Amino acid sequence: MKLSQHIFSSLLCSVILYSCSEPSPSFYSSENPARLSEWNLFKLTPATLEPRSETLVFKPNNTLFSDYAHKLRTMWIPNGETAHVENNEIVYPAGTVLSKTFYYPIDSDGIFLRENDKNLSSLNLTKNRLIETRLLVKRDEGWQAFPYVWNVDQTEAFLRVAGTSRNIQLSEEGQQTQFTYFVPNENQCSACHVTEHPYGEMHPLGAIANQLTAKVGDTNQSQQIEKLISRNWLEVMPSTKPSHSWADRTASLEQRAASYLNMHCGHCHNKDGAADTSALLLDGSHDLAINMGVCKTPVAAGGGAGDKRYSIVPGSPEESILIYRMLSDQPDEMMPELGRSLVHDEGIELIHSWIEQMQGSCPNIQ
Amino acid sequence: MRASLCKNVMISFVCALLISCDQRQPEIPQLNFEEEIQQSLIQAQPGDIIEIPVGTHNFTRSLSLNVPGVTIKGAGIDSSILSFKNQKQGAEGLLVSASDFTIQDLAIEDTIGDALKINDSNNVVIKNVRTEWTNGPETTNGAYGIYPVQSQNILIDGAVAIGASDAGIYVGQSSQIIVRNSHAEHNVAGIEIENSTFADVYNNVATNNTGGILVFDLPNLPVQGGRNTRVYDNEIITNNTINFAPAGNIVGTVPSGTGLMILANDNIEVFGNTFSDNNSANVLLVSYYITERPFDDPDYDPFPEYIYIHDNEFNGGGGSPDSEPLNALRSATGQSIPNVVWDGTIKQGQKPNEILCMRNNSNFTFVNLDATNGFSAPTFNAAIHDCDLPNLSEISLSFETK
Repeated sequence: MKLSQHIFSSLLCSVILYSCSEPSPSFYSSENPARLSEWNLFKLTPATLEPRSETLVFKPNNTLFSDYAHKLRTMWIPNGETAHVENNEIVYPAGTVLSKTFYYPIDSDGIFLRENDKNLSSLNLTKNRLIETRLLVKRDEGWQAFPYVWNVDQTEAFLRVAGTSRNIQLSEEGQQTQFTYFVPNENQCSACHVTEHPYGEMHPLGAIANQLTAKVGDTNQSQQIEKLISRNWLEVMPSTKPSHSWADRTASLEQRAASYLNMHCGHCHNKDGAADTSALLLDGSHDLAINMGVCKTPVAAGGGAGDKRYSIVPGSPEESILIYRMLSDQPDEMMPELGRSLVHDEGIELIHSWIEQMQGSCPNIQ
Repeated sequence: MRASLCKNVMISFVCALLISCDQRQPEIPQLNFEEEIQQSLIQAQPGDIIEIPVGTHNFTRSLSLNVPGVTIKGAGIDSSILSFKNQKQGAEGLLVSASDFTIQDLAIEDTIGDALKINDSNNVVIKNVRTEWTNGPETTNGAYGIYPVQSQNILIDGAVAIGASDAGIYVGQSSQIIVRNSHAEHNVAGIEIENSTFADVYNNVATNNTGGILVFDLPNLPVQGGRNTRVYDNEIITNNTINFAPAGNIVGTVPSGTGLMILANDNIEVFGNTFSDNNSANVLLVSYYITERPFDDPDYDPFPEYIYIHDNEFNGGGGSPDSEPLNALRSATGQSIPNVVWDGTIKQGQKPNEILCMRNNSNFTFVNLDATNGFSAPTFNAAIHDCDLPNLSEISLSFETK
């Protein structure tokens, strides 16, 4: 073997090796990779899951309850591509890949813990357990959703078009809660991400202008937009009014409740949504109070009505179907229908207080 | 040269191995039947036929279809069974938002919520499909069996719907509808057409429900103004099952023993039906006010109008009504409740014969309950309603070959 051949081979080998240890995120314009690693969004070792430096870790202002799972979100836009702003909304270029990794913190015995999300930007895998990573990918034909599920060894996540489920035991101060965690199938992804049912387009719910621009407490999230601009990922600052976070205790009860309902219900309960059949609008678009639920009788709620007559009875959360359905963990009764198996205590507390302080009443409550 | 080529190939091979970064590739997980079916529904292409083999197939999660032009086909109403007895997620058995959809020759059993929900879809064929809660009528059963809503051009043919805690076959906020040759039993409502226009309901059997067939129009919904429904050549028999709907639902107001109930709907033609032994009333015609529910909707018309009941056969019924005013009437008269009961509410300026015409019914009796005046002076004379109304036209669906 000639020296030159040796050099060539070694070079080839190191190039491959190099691209192997430090690859860049990849965009697939039509193929749907079976393995999450093929997208090269993360650096994965047995000890850590770390988003690659090419990606941007971000956090929306207002977050969705997902059975107390923690979330790590990344955004990546290919080199040379830029998002623009249209009607005050960010329009991402083809090639954009958004990821959301769902995980739970664990203790030294591997027990899953119910804790507040600390918004980590990389994950120590001795202290956290990965469940799933959902991708939203912008292709020429629009956004597409892909649910990847992590294996037991935490060495790879696989595309599960039809979703899957896992039994989880969650511990909080020694108290155990057993539940089934559901990874959505692709249709269920669009149940929330397509807000104009059924012919609208899929779109992101977190990486949008008013979710990225807001200031929350003492963290200035508008820096997220500035980061986008400094990376040349975004042309200009969108001038949207930031939404209030339901968790932001500096906002009024009214604003927090509106935010919570919009976030958790509004993607179906809007004028074009899948739940417009019920005429219950929870995205803030109602003209009449009855369409926000006040003294509104159920239409097709079945057992979900909980033997109650109205969605909201002002001053009486216990008589309100809204609270009943939030408190339920039965698939045919609970709301939202998707995205949770557990009851969201903090959400109930908020909506309960909001209904409690509402003035008025409804006829024939019983 | 040959040797060095070989060496090169070797090195490349080693390199290729190294591509995987010194890790063995974790294995792709296997899918179970449930996941395979859901995956095939997601990856289906228009024109595909998805076959459900013979047998009982268990599902823990809702199935859903969003791809248009797909057919789901089993091997028979009693042989290909999708069982949701162990369902843990999803408010339906199968949820469809896809036009040009056909489902046939299978059963959906024991879903925790609705069995087959079809939302926002056009050109829908549901043929020889059974939806059933196998434990019989119970409040904890799912609300609807076959449930197209906000859809157009719907054919439900040869369906069997059993045990729904609301309606066995329910078509809501839809238009151009045929429900025929179907059997609804042990539901709260056997067949219900709600806030819909242009429906033909014929050759069906509705028996042992709380109410056999309901035609309703409700306020404060995005689609209302329910009208133009023909209910004909049906057998509506002994619908005397106690009302097991969860409280709070409109259908919970239906008295047990109701044959046909028309609520606030307009232009309804009822003919050629056999009504037998429905113990509250064979036919009940009421305004929305009877529900005593508030509504805030300037566009809503709470009164039924232009109801034409002719050439029906009535046998028995009305013997033990499940309704306060009907019970009072039965006590006062010592007679069974008449075959056609009208609450007597009427829009100002309208004549009784614009509300209700009745002709050529066999074994015909009638009462106007005088609900407007607190049921104080019921009247039994139907002479003022001896009139006819124009026949409604037949519904024809473009995709049907005659």
